[in-house]
Amino acid sequence: MSVVISGIGLALPGVTAPADLLRPAPADPAPVDPAALIGKKGLRYKDRATQLALCMAAAALRDAGLLGEDGPAVPGDRVGVVVSSNLGNVDTVCRAVETIAKEGTAGLSPMDTPNASSNITASETAIRFDLRGPNLTVCNGITSGLDAVRWASLVLRSGRADHMLVLGVEPDNPVARSLVGGPVVDGGAGLVLSRAGECARPRVELGPAVRSASLSTCAERLSDIAPGAAGWLTDDLAVVPLEADHLDLRGRGECSGALGVLQCAAAVGWAESGRTEPLYALLGGAAGEPAAGLVLTPCGPAS
Amino acid sequence: MSFPITGIGAVASIGASPDEIFTGLCEGRTGLGPLRGFDRERFNAQQLFEIDDRSGDGDEPGRATRFLVEAVRQAAADAGLGEDLSGVPVLVGTGLRELRSLELWWRDGIPPGFDAAGLDFGPALQQRFGALDTHTFANACSASLYALALGWDLLEQGDAETVIVAGCDAVTESMFGQADRVQFSPPPAVRPFDRERQGTILGEGAAAVVLRRRPEAGRPVRGWLRSVAVNCDARHPTAPDREGITASVRQAHDIAGVTPEEIDLVLLHGTGTPVNDLMEAQVTGDVFAGARPALTGIKSQTGHTSGSAGLMSLLVALSSIETGTIPAIAGLADPLPEAAGLRLVRDTTVSETVRCAQVNGFGFGGVNAVAVVAGAA
Repeated sequence: MSVVISGIGLALPGVTAPADLLRPAPADPAPVDPAALIGKKGLRYKDRATQLALCMAAAALRDAGLLGEDGPAVPGDRVGVVVSSNLGNVDTVCRAVETIAKEGTAGLSPMDTPNASSNITASETAIRFDLRGPNLTVCNGITSGLDAVRWASLVLRSGRADHMLVLGVEPDNPVARSLVGGPVVDGGAGLVLSRAGECARPRVELGPAVRSASLSTCAERLSDIAPGAAGWLTDDLAVVPLEADHLDLRGRGECSGALGVLQCAAAVGWAESGRTEPLYALLGGAAGEPAAGLVLTPCGPAS
Repeated sequence: MSFPITGIGAVASIGASPDEIFTGLCEGRTGLGPLRGFDRERFNAQQLFEIDDRSGDGDEPGRATRFLVEAVRQAAADAGLGEDLSGVPVLVGTGLRELRSLELWWRDGIPPGFDAAGLDFGPALQQRFGALDTHTFANACSASLYALALGWDLLEQGDAETVIVAGCDAVTESMFGQADRVQFSPPPAVRPFDRERQGTILGEGAAAVVLRRRPEAGRPVRGWLRSVAVNCDARHPTAPDREGITASVRQAHDIAGVTPEEIDLVLLHGTGTPVNDLMEAQVTGDVFAGARPALTGIKSQTGHTSGSAGLMSLLVALSSIETGTIPAIAGLADPLPEAAGLRLVRDTTVSETVRCAQVNGFGFGGVNAVAVVAGAA
């Protein structure tokens, strides 16, 4: 059974369509304004990551036909959520210890209590869109985004849900910047994944996922099991064959847990631009860390 | 379908192995003590269920990782896997990741050089066990049972032959502080399902199991995993929802192919908060109408160990299945009225045959996970 991308939504500075991801990043784009995208209602007291995630969730669910003008178009108990974010609530956590050091716990805001839990974005997304299926938060370092896609695909294969909303989001703030050594993307992408044949508009089929000790072995394994990729989504030019396109998402700030999901969004852009050949997405592998890879194949002109 | 559990490991405030923890529960030991790692001047609440492992005064980073590595080491050894886990997926459920290290780094600059890679457990598991397929799931207080559901799916779909599933947490100052802020007065003890319960107290710990597609000849099986159901209330960021929790329990029974009458024991989530215990008593009364399983919970003695709580309860269920002994809910003197028809184990351990047990785990964000385990098939 194969799993496909059936909907997509972006919340990314200066980018509106997936095909924009195939071009160099825009210079000095305006930050994403969640209130302008989905209205102010319900955004108060939500952290930045959650606000951004709600924007991409609304767009992706609508794109997949799961959310209509009057609300959900399918029963929420068969739709789940996977959020990938490493830096999502680090600002809340660090602000709390600063406040406690200065004023004790009386200085804390009760409204921050849910935000101290790292799964706040996934749970707020479930609440807003009434998604009662499996609800998972993946905080797994640089490979998080592709890992989130892998777990969502597994849950679809095992039949725990009919559709899975996958959100990759990272907020920009001083704590997040300190942790990654520079500006953060302050956005991300959302995907709806569905079983092939069970969605209106399949865009990209998710092929085998692999995990290896290094980026180069990961690349070799992808080439073995699904030869013939015409494009490579990776930050490491060294693994890309001369004849293949190199698709590079750099220049948008550190994407961290959002990166793998953005790679899948770029594959939708690749399909929308008329390309039909498979892509490889690769993450990780720096400084001895494991690498993750995924084959992404456009579903064809009908998509 | 069911999968054998071939290795177990755990550490908590009341014991440094699954056996020690179970013995401690049966003997009525508690891990509750005065704050060890936090500045006592800054908090109203003065107690936690901490693991007493710090070498000096004040707090130190990396403790959640240390608990996890020890639980995984025990489980892998128990299953005969050794210490090379390069071919085994390791799935870790946690509420608070290494956020305590983040806090210490941000406020005090310790450890120097901390960065985003230190927030999850992958690097430490790779360094210690050579594990490459490692996953950190931040799923609040049902995290380890959520990870168990994914481990189940990996085996069921044929993606792996062996999986290690673990849960771990050390208490963070941000979570403890937020709880301190919203508690009217700090609870003197955790008293699940008691009329006088005043809230929960956090605890520390880690638990791990080795799951396989089939048993290995010549090696013991610690129990069988019959099902894990997961869902989400989608109602409230912190309060539990009766409908969502009921659905998760019924789904766990359906997947396992058991009726409520076939469940001999339920390990309740039982946090000692007014809302959780009320809700859980109502749901348990609804689902088990006509059936009389023994009901117990461990948090009055271990504290609420957050991400590891579900697996910790599951290990206790396995011990009860193996020994025929069910520990009592410590601190339960006068059950809440909604539990009137329920067989809550009180005052002293109960000896009876347990063939099949249900384990509850519910978390912030309405993330519910319920497992069913059984003894030798």
